[in-house]
Amino acid sequence: MLFAMPAVVMLIFGFALGGQVSNVPILVDNQDAGYSANLGTAGVSLHAGNQILASLQTDSTVTVTTGSYSTGRANVDSGTYFAAILIPSNFSQTVLMRAQGRNVTASILVYIDGTKPTIAAGVIGALQSAVQNSSGIKGFSVVQQYAYGGVKFSGLDVSLPSVTAFVLTFLVLLISLLTVSRETTSGTLPRLYTTPLTAVERLLGYTLSLLVVGIMMVVVVLVVGIGLFGAVVRGDTLLLFSAAILYALSQVLLAVFLSNFARNEFQAVQLAPLIGFPSMALSGMLVPISSLPAWIQPFCRLIPMYYANQLFEGIMLKGYDMGALAFDFAIVGVMAVLFLVLAMSTVKDRIDA
Amino acid sequence: MIETENLVKVFKEGNIRAVDGLTISIRKGEIYALIGANGSGKTTTVNMMTGALAPTSGRIIVLGFEMPRQRRLVSGRIGVAPQEYSLYPDLTLEQNARFFARLYGMNPQDFRRRFNELNEILRLRGREHSLVSNLSGGMKRRASIECALLHEPEVVFFDEATVGIDPVLRAFLWDYFRTLRSNGLTILLTSHVMDEAGKADRIGLVRAGKLVEEGEPEELMTRHNVHSIEEVFLKLSGNEVSDA
Repeated sequence: MLFAMPAVVMLIFGFALGGQVSNVPILVDNQDAGYSANLGTAGVSLHAGNQILASLQTDSTVTVTTGSYSTGRANVDSGTYFAAILIPSNFSQTVLMRAQGRNVTASILVYIDGTKPTIAAGVIGALQSAVQNSSGIKGFSVVQQYAYGGVKFSGLDVSLPSVTAFVLTFLVLLISLLTVSRETTSGTLPRLYTTPLTAVERLLGYTLSLLVVGIMMVVVVLVVGIGLFGAVVRGDTLLLFSAAILYALSQVLLAVFLSNFARNEFQAVQLAPLIGFPSMALSGMLVPISSLPAWIQPFCRLIPMYYANQLFEGIMLKGYDMGALAFDFAIVGVMAVLFLVLAMSTVKDRIDA
Repeated sequence: MIETENLVKVFKEGNIRAVDGLTISIRKGEIYALIGANGSGKTTTVNMMTGALAPTSGRIIVLGFEMPRQRRLVSGRIGVAPQEYSLYPDLTLEQNARFFARLYGMNPQDFRRRFNELNEILRLRGREHSLVSNLSGGMKRRASIECALLHEPEVVFFDEATVGIDPVLRAFLWDYFRTLRSNGLTILLTSHVMDEAGKADRIGLVRAGKLVEEGEPEELMTRHNVHSIEEVFLKLSGNEVSDA
């Protein structure tokens, strides 16, 4: 464990964090009609919209779908696309008019998901590069509108959901593992084996008490983040707590299951980071999933913390209701049931079980 | 009350034969001392009798029920004070006692009555709200015994209950064991302190997992023409250190 754990953690972080923002799904509505004008003695014909679109389609930062801007906005709200870009019909005309010395500025409208600043910066950067590469256009503006009420989130706003998920993953795991394994090392477990307490009852006792601890942690994180630092919670608070309780339950059951294999507290303590750190790397907390190597991305969908991030971001930053998050709730619920089954099948009721 | 028949326990790790064909029978209302050197299989035997460990082969009957298969039917009628104190150090004496009392299904009134009674007997009055971690070794031992007796069991297992405590406390505990016996309680206790064996009704001497001698203390000493149980044990072991 002493050698395996750091090796595993470094390998996962190395593979996961080695990439850049890539393959972000966006929609582009190119309404540019193109324009022809005289610049000096030469006639110039410009279709900047087509050039920008072509440049974006070759940029690995984004994956472009074309369609209507209004549809794109709706899909940004629902999470299908990260941004919807509108190149107006008079874009080329405005560019050429500016080139003729008129005091006008060509604008591109971007409706963007502001919950992930890293991705947003990547998309805006790709757009700006595409425009600049298009016939050397200068003096344009990118007008950004943010989804979810037009709120531009602060760093704390966008990180609080992930922090909440991480607390419920790492700290709940750590405390749960230590508590359950301490029963073995303190010598109380052999005494419990001789009492009428069944293994299932013992498991239930661990689960309920540690769930209370997990909920208390969530309360502290949210009170500090929201009450002290004013982080945004756009969604329903009750739904948020329901998601937190369900996820905490899944992590407690995971810890109870894993504790059956830890022979002492030293081993138990090492299991927490072995689960927690890869969860950080692969859940989208540190970097977008789409930025990870393609072969790692399917595994991200197996990480419980990925769904916790989806739930907490959806509720806190996007104001999603139960309907929009039903799938993520269901997955976390299935994981909780799976860990419960695993815990019940491995919980011991004798010293040598 | 307690019977074993050709009891064997082999631990997979190291292929250790901790108990090797042990057959004993303990009568109701008897203090039976299972005596042996460290590693002779005493604790393993007690763990199997209480259902905490499954035998490799052989049979165990406690209060008419087969262990560990029928453990659930008998666990409420036995009490166990393990070799370790087996108490929660971050809880108080009363919190520990109440926790174990609840496991045995005691109602609050019965718990309060019994807890106060045992605190008086075991001289723990005034320490109810002390953290177990702050109790002395002797107090922890008495607290462990208290948790084993709260629910008024019919059979009690004391594993090394008198080891590591001062002579005054040891004498006190033996007086208390005899009082319990006179009230109908059956007691199996283990120890590696040979001179304690003389205080029991019957003794079983174990070496390397085998029962090498059994009988009343006086009977054993007479049989082997010695003056102490320790001499009986040394004679039977040939003064050799056990491989266990």
